Amino acid sequence: MVMKKYMVIYRSVLMENLQYVMDIAMGFISYFIFIYVFIQLWGYIYESPEELIAGYTKEQMIWYVMITEMIWCGTRSSTVTRQVATDIRGGNIAYLMNKPYHYTFYVLTKYTGEWSVRLPMYAGLTIVIGLLLVGRIPGFRTVTFWAVIPCIVLGITIHAFFKLCISLMSFWIEDSNPFQWLYDKLILVVGTIFPIEIFPAALQPLFKLTPIYTVCYGPAKLMVDFSRAKYFEILLAQILYLSAGCALMLFIYGKGVKKLYVNGG
Amino acid sequence: MLTAVKNQLRVCLLSIKYNIMREMLNKVTFLTNIGFMILNNATFIVQWVILFSIKEEVGGYGIQEIMLLWGLAASTYGLAHVLFARVFSLPELIINGKLDTYLVQPKNVLLSVMTSATTASAIGDLLYGLMVVCIFCFSVRRFFLFLLFTVTGAVIMTAFALLLGSLSFWFVKTDTFGNNMVNALVSFSTYPDGIFKGAVRFLLYSVVPVGMSIYTPVDIMVEFDAWRLLKVAGYTVLLSAAAVFTFYRGLRRYSSGNLMEARM
Amino acid sequence: MKVIEAEDLSKVFRVKQKEKGIRGSIKAVFHPQTEEIRAVDRISFSVEEGEVLAFIGPNGAGKSTTIKMLTGILYPDGGNVKVLGIDPTKKRKQLAYEIGTVFGQKEQLWTHLTPYDNFRFFGAIYDIPDGEMERRIEELSEIFELGLYINTPVRNLSLGQRIRCEIAASLIHKPKVLFLDEPTIGLDPVVKENIRALIRQMNKELHTTIFLTSHDIGDIEKLCKRIIIVNSGRIVLDDSMAHLKYHYLNKKTVEVKLHESVKLPSAEGITVLKEKGGYVKFEVDTAVMKIHDALRRIDTENVEDINISNIPLENIITDIYKSEGKTV
Repeated sequence: MVMKKYMVIYRSVLMENLQYVMDIAMGFISYFIFIYVFIQLWGYIYESPEELIAGYTKEQMIWYVMITEMIWCGTRSSTVTRQVATDIRGGNIAYLMNKPYHYTFYVLTKYTGEWSVRLPMYAGLTIVIGLLLVGRIPGFRTVTFWAVIPCIVLGITIHAFFKLCISLMSFWIEDSNPFQWLYDKLILVVGTIFPIEIFPAALQPLFKLTPIYTVCYGPAKLMVDFSRAKYFEILLAQILYLSAGCALMLFIYGKGVKKLYVNGG
Repeated sequence: MLTAVKNQLRVCLLSIKYNIMREMLNKVTFLTNIGFMILNNATFIVQWVILFSIKEEVGGYGIQEIMLLWGLAASTYGLAHVLFARVFSLPELIINGKLDTYLVQPKNVLLSVMTSATTASAIGDLLYGLMVVCIFCFSVRRFFLFLLFTVTGAVIMTAFALLLGSLSFWFVKTDTFGNNMVNALVSFSTYPDGIFKGAVRFLLYSVVPVGMSIYTPVDIMVEFDAWRLLKVAGYTVLLSAAAVFTFYRGLRRYSSGNLMEARM
Repeated sequence: MKVIEAEDLSKVFRVKQKEKGIRGSIKAVFHPQTEEIRAVDRISFSVEEGEVLAFIGPNGAGKSTTIKMLTGILYPDGGNVKVLGIDPTKKRKQLAYEIGTVFGQKEQLWTHLTPYDNFRFFGAIYDIPDGEMERRIEELSEIFELGLYINTPVRNLSLGQRIRCEIAASLIHKPKVLFLDEPTIGLDPVVKENIRALIRQMNKELHTTIFLTSHDIGDIEKLCKRIIIVNSGRIVLDDSMAHLKYHYLNKKTVEVKLHESVKLPSAEGITVLKEKGGYVKFEVDTAVMKIHDALRRIDTENVEDINISNIPLENIITDIYKSEGKTV
C-alpha cells in the first residue's frame, strides 16, 4: 500500500522525463568528448596491445572508465542536490514534509524516475561507442550484463543516499554545494577515471571502506572482469552500505526536522 | 569620446564590484566556495601523479607542464566566470526577454549584460591557477606570461560562449548545445594536446578554441616564441570580433521581435 | 510641446504554426507555416508635455509592445514614432538619457545594496558627476521621504518602500518622460495611495510627463487626466477622463429593499437587473428618465433600505473592452 504511492510518483516522473529525450541526447556531446579524451589518453599510455596496467588490458581500462562515466552522466540531476537544498533554505520544506509521504523517499523516487530515462540512453550510446572505437571486452558474456544490473541500481541508490545526506546539511549551513563538489571529486578521481587497483597497495583497503567501492568501482569492475566471488562480495558490501546510508540519511533528516520545529526555520 | 569610454568602464567596474559584494554577503559561504574549489581542483593532481607513475611523459608533457596546463586552464576559467559569468547563461536572458532592462539604459548593451553576474567559486579557480604557477613552476617571466595568457584565455573562452550563446537569437533550442561546447573546451583544456591526432587536433586549433587559449600558451611558457605569441593575440582579437558581431546581429533580431513566439 | 508622437505605429509578429504530432514537426521543418499577429495595428496618438496619460487595455492588447517601441526596445514595422523629437529606433542610447522606466514586475535595483548605493550606480549609468549626484540623491530622498531607510539594504525593505526606491532611482537623471508599467501591482491599498500621491507630486513639481499602464482602475481614476484604451492592437478610445465619466456616468444603479414583494412597473429608461422577493436592483438611464421620476415609481412607504450609486469606472472600461469600440 505504502509502496503504491511511490510507484505513482515514479511513473509520472518517468512520463514527464520521456518528453525531454532530445535534451538528454544533447548531453551526449559532453560524454562523448570525455570518453574520446580517455581513449586517446590510454591509447598513448599503453605501449603495446598486450600490456597490462594494474591488471587491466587497454580495452578493460577504457571500458571501465566508460561504464563509470556512463553511470555518472546517466544519473546526473539536481533533484537530490540543489533542489533539496533550495527546498530547505527556501522554507518550502515545511509544506513538503507534511504531505502523506516521506520527503526523502519522495525525492529518491523522483530521482529514480529521472535516471530511468537517462541511464538506458547513455547505456545505448556507451555500447555503440565502445564497440566502434574500443572493441569488445575480452571474455565478455551477455549473462554478465544482466547479472551486474542490480549492482548498478544499488550503486546509484547508495550514491543518492550520500548526496541526500549532504543536501540535508542545508538545515544547518547556508550552502551545501561545496561539499557536494568535494564528494563528487572524490568519487570521480578515485573511483571513476581509474580502477582502484591503480593506486598504491597500501591505500586500497582504505578505499574499500569508502562509498567509492560500492558506487562506481564495484559495478564497473564486475562488468569488465567478472568473477563470482567478487560479485557476491560487492553485493554484500552494497547491501551494508545501502542500510548504513539510508539510516544516516533518516537520522540527519530527523535531526533537521527537529531543528526546524524548534527554531521555526 | 574618451569620457564616454571612461564612464562606460566606471559602470562596468562598479557592476563587477557590486556582484562580488553580493556574493560576499554571507562570508562563510563565500569563503567555503572559494576554498573548496581550490581543493576540488587540487584533487586532479592525484590523477596526474598516478598517470606519471605509469609513464614518464604523457603527450610530451611532464608533471611540470601538466601543472602549467592545469593552472592556466583553471585561471582562465576562473577569470572568465568572475568577470563575465552572465555570458555563460546568455540564452536564458535572450529567450525570456530579459535584455529589455539593458536596452533602456544609455550604456553599451553587451558590456552591461556581460558584467551583470559573477560566480563566487570561480575566484577559487583563479587563485588555484596562480598558486600552481607560483609553487610548481615559478619564474618572473613565466609569471607575467601566465597573467597575460590568463587574460587572453579568458577573453577567448568568453567570446566562444558569447558566439554560441548568441545562436539563441536565431534558434531557441541551442542552449544545451552551447553549454556542451563550452564544457568540451574545459574538458580538452586539462589534457595535453600531444595525445590527440589528426582531424581532432585540427578541430582543437580551430573550432574549439582550446589550442589558442591553452596549448600554445603553455608551449610559449615552456619555450618562449614571439611569433606564436602574436598568433595567440591575433586569434583572440579575431574571435572576439566575430562574437561581438554575431551578438549585435542577433540583438537586431531581438529588437525586431522575431523572438516573440518564444516568449508567448 | 508634444513629447510623444506616434503615427500609424504598427508591429506584426510572426508566430510559427505547427500541426500536431511528429509528422507535423517534420513538416514544420521543411515548410514552416507562420501566422501574422498584428500586435499593434496602425495606432496614432500624441502626448503633451506634463500630461499624465493612462494607456490601458486587456492582456495582450498591445500595451507593452507599444511601450517597448516607444523606449527603443522593439523596432516598429510601420509608422513613425518620436519621443522628445528623437527616433527611438535610431537613437536608442541618446533617448535613454531623457526617459525613465519603472516596470512594476521587474526589479531594477540591486537588492543586496542600500538605496544610496543603488542611486550611485544608476547615477554612474547616466554619467552624473559625483557632486551633482549627492545633491540629486538628497533631493530625491526628501521628495520620496527615504531618509529613514536610505542606508538599509533593499532586500530588507517592504514592498512599498522598494517601489518608492525603484521610482526614485528611475528619476536620478531627471527624465522628461517616465514610463510606468503597473507601478502599484501587488501593493496594499495604503501604499498604493501613497505611491499615487507621489506620482502626482512628481508630475506637479518636476513637470515629468507620465505614461502609465495599469490594470488598477484606482491608479487611472486618481492619477490620469487622459485615457487611451487599446484592444486588439487598436486604439478604441482616446479621451479625457472628465469627458469619459460625463459620457458614461449617465447611468445610476438603484438598489431598494421593500417590506413586501412588489413588481416594478416597466418604463423606458429603467432596466431591471435583479428582482427577488422584496429586493429590486435596477439601472436608470438619466438621459431618458430623471432620477426623481424613477424614484417616484417606488412605493416609498414600503422602503426598508435604499442605495443609489454610479456605475463604477471599472464596469465602464470592461464594457468598452467588450464592445471593442463599436459604440465609440
